Amino acid sequence: MILTLVSAVVSSGFANAAEDKPSDKLTFATDILPIFRAKCIRCHAGVEPKGDLNLTQPSSLLNGGKSGAAIRIAAAEFSLLYEKIAADKMPLDGQKLTATEKGIIRTWINDGAEGVSNVKPVDLAEDLTGAELWSFNPPLRPEIPELARDDRVRNPIDAFVLKQLEEKELSFAADASRTTLLRRASFDLLGLPPTPAEIEQFVNDDRPDAYPRTIGRLLASPRYGERWARHWLDVAGYADSAGILSEDRQLPLLWKYRDYVIRAFNNDKPYDRFLLEQLAGDELTDYWTAYKTMDELPASVVEAVTATGFLRTAADPSRPDFSTIKNAHAQYYYPTLFDTLQIVCSSTMGLTIQCARCHSHKFDPIPQVDYYRMQAIFMNAYRPDNWVPQMNRRVKVATKKQEDAATKRNAEIDEAVKNLQAELAALKKEFTEKLFADRLAKVSEDVRADVESAFVTPDGKRTNEQNAFVEKFKKELRPEGKELDEALGSTYQEYQEQSAELNGKVATENGHRVTFDEIRALYDLEGPVTTPVLLRGDPLTPGPPVRPGVISTIATPQLFDWKDSAKETRPSGRRLAFAKWLTQAEHPLTARVMVNRIWMHHFGRGIVASPEDFGVTGAPPSHPALLDWLATEFVRSSWSVKHIHRLILTSSAWRQSSQVDDDDRGKCEQVDPNNDLLWRQRIRRLEAEPLRDAILFASGTAEQTMYGPPVPVSRSSNGEAIVPPGHGENRRSVYVLVMRLRPETMLDLFDQPKIAVNCTQRGVSTVSTQALTLLNSDIMVRAANAFADRVLSHGEDDPVAYAVRVAFARSCGNTERELFDNFVVEQTNRYLAESPEESRDQPEVMTKAKRNALADLCHMLLSANEFAYLD
Amino acid sequence: MNPLLSRRDLLSQLGAGFGGLALGTLLNETAIANASAQASGPHFEPKAKAVIQLYMHGGPSHVDLLDPKPLLSRLDGTPPSGEVADDENRTKNLMGSPHRFRGRGESGLEFSEIQPFVSQHADEIAVVRSMFTEHRNHEQAIWMAQTGLTIAGRPTLGAWLAYGLGTENRNLPAFVALPDPKGQSVDGIRNWSSGWLPPQFQGTMFREQGSPVLHLQPTEKRSARVENARAVLLRELNKRHLASRPGELELEARIEAFELAGRMQLAATSALDLSQETAATHKLYGLDNDKTKSYGTRCLMARRLIERGVRFVSLFMAGQPWDTHSENNKRTKDCCEQTDLPVGGLLTDLKQRGLLDSTLILWGGEFGRTPAAELRNGNAAAGRDHHPYGFSVWLAGGGVKGGQAYGATDDFGYRAVENRTQTANLHATILHLLGLDHEELNYYHNGRDERLTDIYQASVINELLA
Repeated sequence: MILTLVSAVVSSGFANAAEDKPSDKLTFATDILPIFRAKCIRCHAGVEPKGDLNLTQPSSLLNGGKSGAAIRIAAAEFSLLYEKIAADKMPLDGQKLTATEKGIIRTWINDGAEGVSNVKPVDLAEDLTGAELWSFNPPLRPEIPELARDDRVRNPIDAFVLKQLEEKELSFAADASRTTLLRRASFDLLGLPPTPAEIEQFVNDDRPDAYPRTIGRLLASPRYGERWARHWLDVAGYADSAGILSEDRQLPLLWKYRDYVIRAFNNDKPYDRFLLEQLAGDELTDYWTAYKTMDELPASVVEAVTATGFLRTAADPSRPDFSTIKNAHAQYYYPTLFDTLQIVCSSTMGLTIQCARCHSHKFDPIPQVDYYRMQAIFMNAYRPDNWVPQMNRRVKVATKKQEDAATKRNAEIDEAVKNLQAELAALKKEFTEKLFADRLAKVSEDVRADVESAFVTPDGKRTNEQNAFVEKFKKELRPEGKELDEALGSTYQEYQEQSAELNGKVATENGHRVTFDEIRALYDLEGPVTTPVLLRGDPLTPGPPVRPGVISTIATPQLFDWKDSAKETRPSGRRLAFAKWLTQAEHPLTARVMVNRIWMHHFGRGIVASPEDFGVTGAPPSHPALLDWLATEFVRSSWSVKHIHRLILTSSAWRQSSQVDDDDRGKCEQVDPNNDLLWRQRIRRLEAEPLRDAILFASGTAEQTMYGPPVPVSRSSNGEAIVPPGHGENRRSVYVLVMRLRPETMLDLFDQPKIAVNCTQRGVSTVSTQALTLLNSDIMVRAANAFADRVLSHGEDDPVAYAVRVAFARSCGNTERELFDNFVVEQTNRYLAESPEESRDQPEVMTKAKRNALADLCHMLLSANEFAYLD
Repeated sequence: MNPLLSRRDLLSQLGAGFGGLALGTLLNETAIANASAQASGPHFEPKAKAVIQLYMHGGPSHVDLLDPKPLLSRLDGTPPSGEVADDENRTKNLMGSPHRFRGRGESGLEFSEIQPFVSQHADEIAVVRSMFTEHRNHEQAIWMAQTGLTIAGRPTLGAWLAYGLGTENRNLPAFVALPDPKGQSVDGIRNWSSGWLPPQFQGTMFREQGSPVLHLQPTEKRSARVENARAVLLRELNKRHLASRPGELELEARIEAFELAGRMQLAATSALDLSQETAATHKLYGLDNDKTKSYGTRCLMARRLIERGVRFVSLFMAGQPWDTHSENNKRTKDCCEQTDLPVGGLLTDLKQRGLLDSTLILWGGEFGRTPAAELRNGNAAAGRDHHPYGFSVWLAGGGVKGGQAYGATDDFGYRAVENRTQTANLHATILHLLGLDHEELNYYHNGRDERLTDIYQASVINELLA
């Protein structure tokens, strides 16, 4: 496909608004050009200007010459032209510019470089095509391969995987044991270990469909949504903090989006709908019409608007006071838009589009202009040149009618409260005077009249004597503030009763005040908007404007369908058009990228090992036909994520053991050392959240409350960031507050991403500080103790076996038992030896020593490799 | 599968311990050394082995410390002319420095009088007077100074060096951050972040009070016998687990990490035991004086860590003390009173121990301060605002040619005009001193080979090299 030339000839976006030009503003023609004529055009003019920079043409200043843009709008200090003249590096020969001339040019640039328009159309045409790149062409449903031996085929996944193994004369490893499978499936789907009862039930279930039943049970658990939401929150770049630089202020509402994602996974919301809602929920459900016409917002609208929180996760440093900052759009607002586009493209399409911000992508067929066409899709909502600070971007869960009614009702309440308060004031005044009179009566008679007249005389007109009286009796006769209230209350029961009644009425009225829930949502703002191409990605060198569009080299049956309405209204429909383009059945990337992610979380590596990069520099798919089959199957199943889980988890490929005996292993490794072809399952380490959750779960302290505002994190006295005890410290990790600068210590240590933009694939680090935290943190010590107590109360007959079952989801072997039993006995003796000699035969000392020994055993089980890894 | 990716997978997953060398050793032990090309060590013979970064949060005032401007004093109180007027109208009249400057050492390099101790080392110090940065706000300018771009989330200089060079002591991290116990610096933990580099390259926070590393000891200490029995049990558990999973490198790496943790308990505790130092040394660093004790303690900790093979130590102060929007004169002097003696002591001590030649000292903040006064609280309390267009930093030791001022600002200290120095050039020079080529020290991330100097045409500043 050849791109069309963007040939618009217009003035650039931010600099010129001829109509509001103050008369004293310097202009190019009258103030700048004469200086250039006098000092510069000997070289920088004509047919072949030096450095390709022609200073007689204003357009040339932004487009620049060989060394880049000559000026950046409103940023003289960072403009090449000013740098050269300020340091007298230019003009090369001849007279340098005078200080006055330098000052004029500096001021002109800083005031917006009046007269610089990008009249030369930038050549945006590029002969790029995506035809060569497999991922830019729609997946075709491949034939299911035929195999020489198909006894291991449980579903088509196996046929595809086995076909490639067969070609290398390899095959699957044996099925893993039931206990291994149950532990693996529980962590994969729920992020939690199976309970001893679940293990018991499954191991003894001899129905032929015992396994698929178990998978079904797991997929139906609400814990599933909590586990899989976290995967999506990674790619969405979710954080509970706004990213206001180092303020790192908490975002009060984004958790509703987190809950939306959990619900979506639990309900198996079709993935296309999931994306439509997140990208354009407001437009999809016609929020604005509902807002304007309905009595209240339907739940479906609220849900879809909540989903647009996806477009609010990018760090947004804006504060209302930033409006006074020079070039705030370039410095603060554009970056949020850049990050948003990166999040959208890497999460949904597996593309590293950010390279195309500054230049056409070096490797992938993504022209720079397409970057800005995509940016234009979001421009109506974000508007860097007219930014709405992030704390003000929220939607009330209410319609216009409700808001109006609330305004009316609240005004009535205001009025009523005002009246009540007036009554209160009058009451108080009355009794204040009474208090004065009553107390005055108690003042000694010989001065009473003088005192009274002193108080009656206004301040300033009093004699010295009167002042002295006031000073002396003020506290008693005219108490103020709290003292007055106390005096009135204790002196006059009548006052107390009447004021209490009035205050009660005020509280009742205030209690009727109508407020609405709010949602951190994305929505279009009003008014027309332009999206300039930013030359070299720089908001200070805006180029020609572009219309909304998509990456033109991606081959889709349905084109991006958006029409400019005559007078652009709200919503603009841009995001909905994009979301529809993205979720069309044959989009080359959407389904592939998502099934690849699901696969990655079940096998430790994607079919495309670079889930964020399906481009030229990304990893090629290890199983291209399988990827396409899964992608088409995903769409055919109405984009059911759970269908893909079920297929994968019931396949022989997934059910393989990760352990292969030495002979086979040697042979396989010779052919396929990295296990790319899947001749065995891969061992995988638990990520931060399942690790922490499993520790809580094993200790028996886990709390299963779902949803709601995040569990707080604060810094403890020793410097770690933890959930303070008593504030939900036993809730699942998905609910723990995610601050960009204050990550929870344990989650952070085990590679929960620190969100800068988003995380498309987590790292797995192994460092000694992890070991120290597992061995010595208060959280682990507490968990080990609770685990020991649980073991003592549940596994009375065989505590050690019970501990092993809880921690490793398997039974305890014989040699192991000896090891553990010996440990407990010997460790008990060590603890006993540390207690005072005379107390050692007391039963409670003995019990405590034994319990401590058991806690040590439990602690080591929780720290062991077997706990942290899935077979 | 892409061989590069596979190598990187291994690297990111197998970084037991803290840095490249630990990783290299581990991989050697597991006989797959060939896959560990990452922390290849230096690209050429390094001048410096280690770095101590004295990060000065807030933006120290160059015209009051390192960049004398007689004209500014002469025109004190007058409005600036057009080419040096504040482009954001946040300052008013020019303000000369009240502090006298004087040439020091054989080189005659000028320092203001409020740095009596550091200036004794004038002949070791190279001041870069022509720095400029791209943002007028702290955080973005800090990101530029620490990570090379004005955007958040990139790896810091220390993380790049840890990634490039690893540590020389397997029992200690390659990159240590020494925050101020009084409180976090602006931008907190991002000051020692590894960004998208694997987390083993991020700075490990060492504390001067209590347990030097988080969770080095449990809150309730265990006896040695109890502790040892636990370790033996865990070792046995992991050994049995591994026996039925031969060749799983990740499992071996995790076992090694637990062993390292045990060794680190000893190494870190000993490294930070300042009671091993003489009274004279304590005095040299100002540990005998309340004003200098805190910063001096971190300086001394830094020397002890460097001595033990730590690659990069960053020292921080709480908040941003150099951010002198009001009372510039008083507050700049106060910062010097806290830091000048300890830093001077550090230089003296390193020199005495023969460590200065191999240790690069970096001093500086994210920008400088305006030559004109900011009048927040009236004339008497005049401050200086943030100033990105020209400011100073200094380097010493580790292959730096001392006794010189490199580059210059204009007569007002407003704008770097001579040998203008972008941050990327400074970074390229620092990497060069450590034997690394800034263009070759790459990390593949999100479809791109990333480097510290990113998009900049950076060059090593040869004039700064000894």
